[in-house]
Amino acid sequence: MTLLELEDVTASYGPVQVLDGVSLSVPENGAFGILGANGAGKTTTLRAISGAVRTGGRIVFDGKDISGMRPDQVAALGIAHVPEGRGSFGDLTVRENLRVGAYLRKDRKGVDEDIDYCLDLFPNLQDRIRSNASALSGGEQQMLAVARAIMSKPRMLLLDEASLGLAPSTAKNVYDAIRRLRLESGIAMVVVEQNANLAFTLVDSATVLETGRSVLTGTSAELKGMDEIRRAYLGG
Amino acid sequence: MEKFVQLVVDGLSTGSVYAALALAIVLVHSATGLINFAQGGMAVLAAYVAWVLTNQGVPLVLAILASILFSFLLGAVLERFLMRRFERGDPDTAVVVTIGLLTLVTGIAGWLWGYNNQQFPSLFPLDTVSVLGVSVSVRSIGTTVVIVVAMVAVQALFVGTKLGLALRAVAINPQSAAYSGLPVERLLMVGWGIAAVLGAVAGALVAPQLTLTPGMLDNALVYALAAVILGGLTSPVGVVVAAWLIGVLENLAAVYVGFIGFDLKVAVPFILIFVVLIVRPQGLFGRKTVVRV
Amino acid sequence: MASSSKTSAPAASAPTSSAAPSSASSFRQRPWVRWGAPLLLLAGLAVLPLVGTESFNDTLARIGVFAVAVLGLNVVMGYTGQVSLGQIFFLGLGAYVTAYGVQSGWNIVLVFVLTCLIPAVAGLLVALAAARLGGLAIAMVTIALPIVGVPLAKRLSDFTGGSQGMSARFVEAPEGSGLYDDQWQLYLVLVIGGIVFLLTYFLVRGKYGRAFAIVKGNENVASSMGISPYRYKVLAFTIASLIGGVSGFLYMVVVQYTSPETMSFGHSIELLVAMVIGGAGSIVGSILGGVFYVVVPDITNAIDPSLTALLQGALLLAVLFVLPGGLVSLPRAVMRGLRRSPAGRGSAAPPTTPSSTPGSGTAAEPTETERQGSA
Repeated sequence: MTLLELEDVTASYGPVQVLDGVSLSVPENGAFGILGANGAGKTTTLRAISGAVRTGGRIVFDGKDISGMRPDQVAALGIAHVPEGRGSFGDLTVRENLRVGAYLRKDRKGVDEDIDYCLDLFPNLQDRIRSNASALSGGEQQMLAVARAIMSKPRMLLLDEASLGLAPSTAKNVYDAIRRLRLESGIAMVVVEQNANLAFTLVDSATVLETGRSVLTGTSAELKGMDEIRRAYLGG
Repeated sequence: MEKFVQLVVDGLSTGSVYAALALAIVLVHSATGLINFAQGGMAVLAAYVAWVLTNQGVPLVLAILASILFSFLLGAVLERFLMRRFERGDPDTAVVVTIGLLTLVTGIAGWLWGYNNQQFPSLFPLDTVSVLGVSVSVRSIGTTVVIVVAMVAVQALFVGTKLGLALRAVAINPQSAAYSGLPVERLLMVGWGIAAVLGAVAGALVAPQLTLTPGMLDNALVYALAAVILGGLTSPVGVVVAAWLIGVLENLAAVYVGFIGFDLKVAVPFILIFVVLIVRPQGLFGRKTVVRV
Repeated sequence: MASSSKTSAPAASAPTSSAAPSSASSFRQRPWVRWGAPLLLLAGLAVLPLVGTESFNDTLARIGVFAVAVLGLNVVMGYTGQVSLGQIFFLGLGAYVTAYGVQSGWNIVLVFVLTCLIPAVAGLLVALAAARLGGLAIAMVTIALPIVGVPLAKRLSDFTGGSQGMSARFVEAPEGSGLYDDQWQLYLVLVIGGIVFLLTYFLVRGKYGRAFAIVKGNENVASSMGISPYRYKVLAFTIASLIGGVSGFLYMVVVQYTSPETMSFGHSIELLVAMVIGGAGSIVGSILGGVFYVVVPDITNAIDPSLTALLQGALLLAVLFVLPGGLVSLPRAVMRGLRRSPAGRGSAAPPTTPSSTPGSGTAAEPTETERQGSA
């Protein structure tokens, strides 16, 4: 059962065409990777799904065409976006950040339970619960960003460069937690990642973008070690 | 001594008016990154609405409440249909838009109700009461108390409610807030509405003293901006303290500093600013602001 | 007025080539047009005072006065991007210095020099403090200048004549010239104003103008290029104040009377409105701003004085919505509209500028623009 489907999606910033026909399909409970070099259009693909850029083509979520919706409308349908740069609310405490993530929910008790779940998933946040987000380390901020996204009880998570700027061990911690989240909750995911090896520890299948176009799509097993992957990252 | 205490109490009262206006400016700035030079003009419009209603025989308190509701709607509508187009653009252009708005609302008030001074009924009696052996005016105490209550209410809204949390989140990172499902555009309207309400409260309280004219709050706006600079754009508490400081100092300077007198006391906050700007450019309480790229 | 289309030839500069039809731009490139048009303009201006009625000359002279004031505001605001709400203060200061000097019987050249220097120094001091705060602090501080200036002028009655104001008649047509006073005054405004416009033109086209533009565009970029935003903001504000002082001198030439009301807050706002409506960052726009400042209140006062402020506010907002470049950009906008209408769009209003989403302009994968830094 397909949860998210992109058909020939295009997008541009002013005169610059950034997406030139991206197609992909993510099944329910699936995890799908978007790989590619800098400037290939990975982040823009996620922004297109979230409605943060205007697009052409079709974006269908759960049988509903969501292209042209505003980001908050897309979020209300159950797509949580963990943006590049983490998007923390620096002047809010960790707990307040989590509550912002749960803005659309009405079940107060469920929210409290989920805050506990997040703190269990990311024990580092436990001690910082009263700190301002701006005081957190890069790794902690990334964990907070993921936790904030989970708080909306989404059906799908859009994860943008979760390892960017993190020490390798921290990046591994973050990905371990996300894998655990996937196992326990079955949230579907679209994962943008520079580090292909890290991505393959999480996703079932992936597509490689080059200058705004999908050039190669396959399962993780098929893609691992292929020349195109290497080429995409070395910019060859 | 008695005179001194009276001056301080009166200063706190006018300072409270500046503080309410300054807080409104800070509120709008934190939500949308721009300085609303029309904040005072909008408050004057609200005061005129209350004045018209009292002339129709509506009790003063009800008239003021109605003008507060009017202000909320006015703020929300202006954000939606005027400011939104300029919010993400060049901040200087947006400021010019608010100056155009100031000219427009002043012009509307002048066109509808003329430029003559109108008497605005006072919420408080003109008596004095004795506090610790010193007589102070009821109006000053009342004005201060009402505005402090209004500010505490706004603070409680921001810290204690889900709506307030959402407003703060939108102010810090609107993109990320939208990703969390916050209706950013509606929240910006609410933010402008609340700011306009604060202004309306200040306007209704100061109108009896200043008498109602279209330019009634031009000077108060200047004081409020001075408080914003002194307190720092990032610090609501700092802005309120600065506003009180200005209110008290200008009152004392008017009486005790020969050259300044009542006509030149408007210079006091700016003398203060020049000193502070040289010594502490980020304001008395604010953090150093980082220039946005 | 027929010459007005030609006046834009030297000033409208490079960007026209993309917007105006190519035939027109090549027309402008021809040497006889490039040199002939300014000469024709000069000749026209030289004859102008001789043919108009007294009240027409007076209106023209007042337009000249406020065009200079708007030009000064343009240096700091249009070209350097710093909103100033205090320009009228420097006009008033210049007017008072002139009046005081004339009444004290000083040499008129000395008076003129002081009229430049004193406002410039005052502007320098204000800018040194105000420019220390980034962003909109200059707007927030300069709004105080007219508000403090008016009571200050009343207070310093030994120098200013208090609320009564001061008058000073010092410009009379030299004997034997055969000119009337109003003609002579207009010549003075044209010559002094013309020199100020010419110098400003060279300033903003030159090295300093480029630095101003970079500071306006992005202060961080300016810093990285070794251009101190602080220093150039102070410089621009000082020059604006100096030009404001000159406009004050011209004000006394024409009006011969000044009072605290000259520098009132309302006038300061009107000056800014005039600048934006004329065209920010434009020499020709400054002249149009002067026309707007003088002519529009005359018209609205004739209709209904209580409508003046309302109309000015509404006009400013309308211009910001449909013609952000001001009146000076009207011909270009109309051209664009005309060229587009055959293609199916009848609207004459230009679309919003493509740069309305700053930051996401060229980068293929823009990062989130976070507000945290400035919050």
